[in-house]
Amino acid sequence: MNSPAHMKARLEVDPLVVEVAVGGVCVASHPQSLTTLALGSCVGVALWDEGRGCGAMAHVMLPCASQTTPDRESARFASWAVPELVRMLVESGSDPRSLCAKIAGGAAMFRSNSTTTPVGQRNVAEVRHQLEVAGIPLCAEDTGGGHARTIELHLDSGVLSVRSYRLGLRHL
Amino acid sequence: MRAEGLTAMQLDALREISAIGAGHAATALSELVERTLRIEVPTIEVIPIERMPYVLGGPEDVVGAVYARLTGEIEGGLLYVATPDAVCKILELLGEECTHDPDGPDEHLAGVVVDVMGHLIRSFLAAVSAMTGLEARAAETSWAYDMAGALLEAVVLEVGARADSAVFVRTAFIDANRAVEVAMFFVPDPESLGAILTRVGLA
Repeated sequence: MNSPAHMKARLEVDPLVVEVAVGGVCVASHPQSLTTLALGSCVGVALWDEGRGCGAMAHVMLPCASQTTPDRESARFASWAVPELVRMLVESGSDPRSLCAKIAGGAAMFRSNSTTTPVGQRNVAEVRHQLEVAGIPLCAEDTGGGHARTIELHLDSGVLSVRSYRLGLRHL
Repeated sequence: MRAEGLTAMQLDALREISAIGAGHAATALSELVERTLRIEVPTIEVIPIERMPYVLGGPEDVVGAVYARLTGEIEGGLLYVATPDAVCKILELLGEECTHDPDGPDEHLAGVVVDVMGHLIRSFLAAVSAMTGLEARAAETSWAYDMAGALLEAVVLEVGARADSAVFVRTAFIDANRAVEVAMFFVPDPESLGAILTRVGLA
């Protein structure tokens, strides 16, 4: 049963790294960190509360729900996810004025001749708009381009690590 | 029309159409490389579109992908996905040298892969057109080489606003020296899926 491969697989799942699913939101505090994988045109939104060493993250897929979307209250949409992140942190005891935001993603994964604004750009615009409405400063961002990103928010330092195959590791 | 809402006969018909399409694609590739390639019996599943990013392994695994937006009487999208190893094997089939560069094929080699995949896509569509009498064209083909999760998600977001189901085809093109494993997602929008099933008498 306890083959080396089996042990390795178990050890690689770090219980302190909380993975935010596609279209999901999560709150965590140090010593935990928050991560979300393989952002393409999606945008990872990370909020950090320096004083409390805690934060929240969303992996948004689309700017807003359409008129006909049945589940409009979904973290898939930036228009809902960003206010929800703020609400969750305030509920856990944060002062919204002490929060700062870092965002990454919003790439165009396939080059297209389409004349409509790419979904990645629209995602970034809506996230910025929602942060402005909530009064949260945007402290750093790594958005656009044509490459996928995996991000991790370190809740002690507020550093957002951005990993990509194209550009390696960056710290925001 | 959702994958879960399709009857067993409709699923069978979609699988049959896709298998014939994949067979045509293999023939087209044989002609291109001027030697006979066998095709492995394809595994074909009809899946809800949200599952697309999860059926190929880890979301951070690197893949090469060619995406074609479909226009005509069948609208939607068609995506070919190959692991870095399979991308190299495709290039080798065509007599190109694969450098195993971690950044993926350079512009020239990527162009070669897009041309081949574009050819496979057009043969697949020609077969579907012949069976259904519906015209299907690849409007444009584009290339990406990056994390599978991000690429599949981008396709889900482009066609997912309208489509619900994807036909997921896995097969391999085999010659004497190698087996090139490829995965293909055929994502017709709901009206087009309805039209296909109507034409084969199963709507």
